[in-house]
Amino acid sequence: MPHYLKIEALRMLRNKRFIIFVVAFPLAFYLLYANLYGDQTDQSTGTRAAVILMVSMGAYGALAASIMSTAVPWAQERHSGWLRQLQITPLPNWMIIAVKLLSALVLVLPALLLVVLAAVLTQHVSLSAGQWAALIPAMWVGTIPFAALGLAIGSLTRPDTAQPIAMIGMFGLALLGGLWFPVDMLPSAMQTIARALPSYDYASIGWEIVAGRTPPGSSVAALAGWAVALGGLAVFAYRRATVRA
Amino acid sequence: MNAISLAGVRKSYGEVLAVDGLDLTMEPGRTVALLGPNGAGKSTTINMLLGLTRPTAGEVRVFGRTPDDAVAAGDVGAMLQEGTLIPELTVRELVDFVRRLYPDPLPLTELLRVTGLTDLASRRADRLSGGQAQRVRFALAIAGSPRLLVLDEPTAAMDVESRRTFWQDMRAYAAEGRTVLFATHYLEEADENSDRVIVIARGQVVADGTAAQIKADAGGTSVEFFLGAQPAARLDALPGVTGVTILSGRATLRTTDTDATVAALYRATTLEISDLRIHGADLEDAFLALTRPSEA
Ligand SMILES: Nc1ncnc2c1ncn2[C@@H]1O[C@H](COP(=O)(O)OP(=O)(O)OP(=O)(O)O)[C@@H](O)[C@H]1O
Ligand SMILES: [Mg+2]
Repeated sequence: MPHYLKIEALRMLRNKRFIIFVVAFPLAFYLLYANLYGDQTDQSTGTRAAVILMVSMGAYGALAASIMSTAVPWAQERHSGWLRQLQITPLPNWMIIAVKLLSALVLVLPALLLVVLAAVLTQHVSLSAGQWAALIPAMWVGTIPFAALGLAIGSLTRPDTAQPIAMIGMFGLALLGGLWFPVDMLPSAMQTIARALPSYDYASIGWEIVAGRTPPGSSVAALAGWAVALGGLAVFAYRRATVRA
Repeated sequence: MNAISLAGVRKSYGEVLAVDGLDLTMEPGRTVALLGPNGAGKSTTINMLLGLTRPTAGEVRVFGRTPDDAVAAGDVGAMLQEGTLIPELTVRELVDFVRRLYPDPLPLTELLRVTGLTDLASRRADRLSGGQAQRVRFALAIAGSPRLLVLDEPTAAMDVESRRTFWQDMRAYAAEGRTVLFATHYLEEADENSDRVIVIARGQVVADGTAAQIKADAGGTSVEFFLGAQPAARLDALPGVTGVTILSGRATLRTTDTDATVAALYRATTLEISDLRIHGADLEDAFLALTRPSEA
């Protein structure tokens, strides 16, 4: 299983599209935005924009990594016959989806940590040890609902439909969840939708931590609820996609 | 214990009966060819043996177990009719990954060597030619050193030279006491590389035996000569003869025993025979005769 995990992670890191969308994009936008607005401060909390942007772009990178490493590759594997090749080896069925989920989590790390590193090095962002210790694990484990969503998409669609659906899902969650601009800037009807999305809860947990506050239980509970719901959907879809008829 | 047994196996896809009542057993250590035209049910049969497809009726056993259990135990390796590799991984990474999934695999260097992949080991899968990719898929099939190797039209993308090397590799693998089942449309492939040929058509077994037996069953060889205006009576009573046709003075005798027929032709008749020719059993004809839908 560790070897399978390594192989899965390795292949995504060799994929140009993945590196561009997931690692280069958030890093480049962080550097750009932090340069333009980094020194402004948030009136309500007094947090520097460079810190808030670190959370936003880190969240975008992590979200993108978890969806991009799952939906399309998995749809392709099912379609191209690679899944069947695996099914005729002693590899148990459940391990395939378990490794997919774990490798998505592993692949979240470079996207997330590079943005954090850029924030520390270029914007001299500094947080207390307790804040770091809460922020990084929360933003890491918080991607589980998105990885589950990606796996569900990969199980339910063909590669050519998985591609646009994954893209729409990824950018939709990022934009509406307030990762690219504050949710407050949206019309009020859209705000209601935006606040109901898992990406909003996910990023909010990070924003609250860097503002020095304890994230509200409602956000944590909502994100956990999404993880359970989307995880259930992913398992159901996986079973359906791998059933032998 | 049989390597493979199929008892009353059927598989239907809606209206289509892909496999229509197969009863087969295969002893371990043999190489068996599954020969049949497009749509005969070869892949369906193979997929049922591998547990990828469930039979509609009947029972499939691999080394006395269900296909799923045999696969889980690492007893089975296969090259499916269609399949691609993971484009971003190298040949070595792919082969090593699959071999590690098996309890008792072949050593990596040996595996790369016997499949002729040593020089391609660092090449990414998306930069392989069609024939090279087939070779990698063969390496994946034997990586776990399985007791049963199943190959579904393995030489489809290969040129003549690659085919020859491929069959040599396959025979070397089989020589170590393993059981091999391969599907093919190529008649000579079945003839040259197996010790038993099972011909299937429309989901049923239409012939089963050695390639020589199959040729004989389907009419065997023919003896042709110039008869001219001589009477053709009693030619059909000669030993081995199964059919007689006479066309513009030339007689063609279909026979199951060329030697006996020719000997009797000279010794037991008073005919003036000239321009005698013997046509070797054409496996192609045999195959077509066997798999053609019977004219009712
Ligand atoms: N998934 C499926 N759904 C519907 N029909 C199918 C399916 N798979 C196979 N068939 C039908 O079952 C029959 C047998 O197909 P199969 O693939 O086993 O043939 P084959 O002998 O392997 O042919 P080929 O030499 O072309 O590979 C065909 O008529 C085919 O159309
Ligand atoms: Mg086939």
